[in-house]
Amino acid sequence: MKASQLFLSLIKRLTTSVIVLLLTVSFLFVLVRIAPGDPSQKFLSPSLSPQLIEKVKKTFQLDKQIHEQYVSFLKNALTGDFGVSYSFHRPVNEVIAEALPFTILFSLSAFVLQLIGGLLFAVLAFRYHKKLWDKFLSHGSMLLYAVPSFVSGLFFIYVFSVQLKIFPSSGIRTVGILENNYFPLLFDYAQHLFLPVLVLSLTGLPVYFKYFREHFEESQNKLFIIYLRANGVSERRILLSHIIPNSLNSIIAYAGVDLGILFSGALITEMIFSLPGMGRLAVGAILQRDYPLIIGCTLTVGTLIILTSLLADLIRLKIDKRLVKGLIN
Amino acid sequence: MKRIHFSIYHFFFFLLLITIGFRLPLLENTAMLFISYLALFVADYRTAFGQLSLSMADYFISLLLIIAIPVFLFLKKDIVFSPKTFSFSHYALAVILYAFVFAPVITNDNIDFQKNISVTRLLPPLSSIHVLHLNNNPVKSGRLNNFLSLKNSVVKNSFDEKIIFFDSLQITQSGVIYFQNELRNSLPLSSIEMLDGKPNISDRFFLLGSDEFGRDIFTRLVYGTRISLLIGFCAVILSLIIGVALGFLAGFSGGVTDVFLSRLTDMFLSFPMIFFIILILAFFGNSFFSVIIVLGFSGWMSLFRIVKGEILSLKNKDYFFTAQQLGLPGTKLLLKEALPVIAIPVIVNTVFQFGNVVLSESALSFLGLGIGNEFPSWGGMINSGQEYLSQAWWMIFFPGAAIILTLVTVNDFGRKLANYFNPRLHE
Repeated sequence: MKASQLFLSLIKRLTTSVIVLLLTVSFLFVLVRIAPGDPSQKFLSPSLSPQLIEKVKKTFQLDKQIHEQYVSFLKNALTGDFGVSYSFHRPVNEVIAEALPFTILFSLSAFVLQLIGGLLFAVLAFRYHKKLWDKFLSHGSMLLYAVPSFVSGLFFIYVFSVQLKIFPSSGIRTVGILENNYFPLLFDYAQHLFLPVLVLSLTGLPVYFKYFREHFEESQNKLFIIYLRANGVSERRILLSHIIPNSLNSIIAYAGVDLGILFSGALITEMIFSLPGMGRLAVGAILQRDYPLIIGCTLTVGTLIILTSLLADLIRLKIDKRLVKGLIN
Repeated sequence: MKRIHFSIYHFFFFLLLITIGFRLPLLENTAMLFISYLALFVADYRTAFGQLSLSMADYFISLLLIIAIPVFLFLKKDIVFSPKTFSFSHYALAVILYAFVFAPVITNDNIDFQKNISVTRLLPPLSSIHVLHLNNNPVKSGRLNNFLSLKNSVVKNSFDEKIIFFDSLQITQSGVIYFQNELRNSLPLSSIEMLDGKPNISDRFFLLGSDEFGRDIFTRLVYGTRISLLIGFCAVILSLIIGVALGFLAGFSGGVTDVFLSRLTDMFLSFPMIFFIILILAFFGNSFFSVIIVLGFSGWMSLFRIVKGEILSLKNKDYFFTAQQLGLPGTKLLLKEALPVIAIPVIVNTVFQFGNVVLSESALSFLGLGIGNEFPSWGGMINSGQEYLSQAWWMIFFPGAAIILTLVTVNDFGRKLANYFNPRLHE
């Protein structure tokens, strides 16, 4: 009984999210078409005859009314066909499928790094509460929070790529490296991804640090912690098996949304390091007025965001049974 | 005996003194220009209106404030607010606001001034370069001409035909030979301004270096403060209006409106806004106003949530219920009963939102979708410095430091404000 109710409410939530996503995509579909400018202009010059212009527009199906275009888009989208990208001259699905694996790898590693880093630094600050380390870390996180990723990215490129020449400054692998030699290939990837992952995780690290730090401090005054301490449970045990597990619950909800947004492509980091991810793909599509690719990217990113927040909710339900009650009621 | 603390006002006064010390001739000229403009205005107001320009008014405002602020501070002896402990963010805020208001007298340069690019491009910080002054045309007499020559000496143009930057110089019988980056040029002595029988040579100092077009980075940095803060203020005010109005509507009317607006907020919050912003700016064109409007429209969500929550809890309060039952109209309810309650959380959130907008604006400028090249913006300066990363670190370092300083200050200010208004922390 309880399980089926839970399942139903999850389905209900998922349906709302999908409807919101569909509305967003429809909104974008209309918005890009009513905006001034036209993708066919890129392939045309004013000296061409009007008949040819009409023909080009016809191949893009831009001669039809917006609602006709929308209906044909919906029909094709239901079969999983999102059209052909104007700038890549290939199916949108193919183009996105090339960028997506990289983005998932990239954002996942940055996500893990910032989560673990935030937790570790928070534990460190908590251990040396109101001592030098704590103050240093708190002020440092405040400073780090204010550093935009394009500043830190260029700073790291200047130090590590230009001056020290340890890490490459752009791209994802060295030209001409052997494909079938796995170990050097892996090393090469790691070397290329080190700086971008560092830069990307530095923007989120202070947020997680601050969250954990505040939660640790708040839980100091909780009755169950005082009780444990009065019973002589060691500080280490209190921290590891009582304070940290309790702090996870609401960070997971935040992390779900955060990971979803990371999946949408850390746009500026990808720009600085010229990485082939979703963010650069989407911005390229916007600047080239590649309508099918814009819609495709939005749909992919939206689906990923919905999935990650759903996953976060499932994990929260798994670790905190009280939430099940709240969700059903 | 009253102890005197070094307060923020003293610091502001100190900044003013530094400016006056460095720019005394300029300020004198500005004062004279102001007087002659007033004289021109009395004599012939049509010409005066024709001569009035925004940059000249800018100089006048700076001059008047430089006179007015010390007078005001001396008259008002009992200054209430005086931070007794050193707080970095207070002083940083003072510096930023100072740069915002007094930009023209701090730099005394045109933002686009460029000349002899081969010599002046990509100069490192603290470098200076020799300047050769050419002969000025003699000033014609008459009130208008007098005014115009004064105006030229105060309000700087983006070009100056009367100076030449050079690396080295040789004086011969017939004239001077000067070298500009291995390029040899010569000039007759008659066209050069002479000082005690020698050519008048001075040094031009580039405090923070110059960019790829030989423009002074310090000048552009100081004027960039104006752009960042102005866009921040305008966009924040726009999102304040939208957020408060929608939040009040959702919290007050409830029902379908509430559900619809909350869903809309969720939609806005769960999607990466930067793509929407880029899409709209790329499709509908980017300009000063479109950046403000787009950033303003993309930042109302958190304000909406705060206002809605406050209104919902307010609806259960007796005094609000009474006011409602007495028949107060909606606008009066908002202004008289709701606004005083929601003001504090809204103000705190607005400060943080201001920081977000400054960050977004610089990110957009970095991507080339900001307010365009007409005005210098920090993000745009970093974007142009990206290309010269290996040669000129100063092109990125100083604008980056300015962005970080502003954001740290604004965030810290917001945090302090939140603590100040939080009654639980004063126990």
